[in-house]
Amino acid sequence: MAPISFTDAIERVVAGNRVYAQQTAEQDPNFFKTLATGQAPEILWIGCADSRIPETTICNCMPGELFVHRNIANTVHGNDLNAASVVEYAVAHLKVKKVVVCGHTKCGGANAALGDADLGETLNTWLHPVRELRRKHKIELEELPDDDARSARVAELNVHQSIEVLKQHPAIKKAIHDRGLSLHGMIYDIGAGHLKLLEEAGGKKSNGLWSADH
Amino acid sequence: MAVPSEQVIKYLQQSHDRIFENNRAWAEEHRKKNPEFFTKLSAGQEPDYLWIGCSDSRIPAEAITGLGPGEMFIHRNIANLVCNTDLNVMSVVNYAVRHLKVKHIVVCGHYGCGGVKAAMTPKDMGLLNPWLRNIRDVYRLHEAELDQITDEEKRYDRLVELNVVEQCRNILKTAAVQQSYAKNDFPIVHGWVFGFQDGLLKDLKINFEEMLKGIQKIYDLSAE
Repeated sequence: MAPISFTDAIERVVAGNRVYAQQTAEQDPNFFKTLATGQAPEILWIGCADSRIPETTICNCMPGELFVHRNIANTVHGNDLNAASVVEYAVAHLKVKKVVVCGHTKCGGANAALGDADLGETLNTWLHPVRELRRKHKIELEELPDDDARSARVAELNVHQSIEVLKQHPAIKKAIHDRGLSLHGMIYDIGAGHLKLLEEAGGKKSNGLWSADH
Repeated sequence: MAVPSEQVIKYLQQSHDRIFENNRAWAEEHRKKNPEFFTKLSAGQEPDYLWIGCSDSRIPAEAITGLGPGEMFIHRNIANLVCNTDLNVMSVVNYAVRHLKVKHIVVCGHYGCGGVKAAMTPKDMGLLNPWLRNIRDVYRLHEAELDQITDEEKRYDRLVELNVVEQCRNILKTAAVQQSYAKNDFPIVHGWVFGFQDGLLKDLKINFEEMLKGIQKIYDLSAE
């Protein structure tokens, strides 16, 4: 491994922030003033912690547009208070209009779920539901040509599963019913830089973008 | 449910399509600048940083630090909390430290945090109660200092800072961080606060060595 300078890495980020603040203020002197007044994001983004998918950047969005939760393998567990609190705050309080779950190709979590290697108790427990998906879809996965394809499919299945869990969240149930909140599954192709909408996850084909009422 | 009007439907469709249009433009721009950009990313990630920040839409971590895809591993939750019993954040810390071997962990809070504000509101917040309780606990730990600040806005600002400090402490309590630091001299934990007024990050200048020593008096998990 190349020698690393700790100070340089941190200085780089601090300098990066100064450039960001300066450039942003030059483009729009009122930008930060407006930002300070509050947030009204339309979208809750649930994505992977993976460093290669900075959501706001890859969607060319501005600060203030995406409320964000990112964890290992964009997994939503029914008993996870962390994600449930994010959902509650975003849906019941900020009243976002859409919830996006975005998985991705080459996902370390999905890859790890293709086997049963011991990752330590914490990660084994966290990834257990994803590994269960692999077992449940064993035949389908075995027919795929290679592990890249298999992990991409596991990532998709995991997005669908997270959406199923989200549909049971009380704030989401209520918002779907009261104001037509919609849920969307996506896959980000790291090798191409492209987002793909998963139709069956509640996209256009199944029930329209705005009426996940079922 | 009420059927959305034509206008609402059109608006929702447009705001949804915009993300995809933006994404295609972004990918195209990067491919033009560097045809290898996505192929390289596809090979794997080696981020130097783990960022634990707030879900707040106004703080896209990579954008405000000028980092590109592949450089920063990210966890974002309500009020950037690191709770001992939370498998979600613990999995992130574990993966980042033990598998990706990040060199720095940044806990970044921000002034005007809605989560911190909600936590200090005398109100039943339902499902959010247990999560926000952690912030009330931070207040209780620093009650004497906070009670002395008469200006309410300043008291919130200080609570935001102290919350970051306590979350840094919580990271130091993990076996993953203690053991990696004993072996490799990293990761280093940093506490920062982002200000909307000027878009700048403030370093709370946490004395990492001293904090770790203090923690290990009681929470020593360094022996494997």
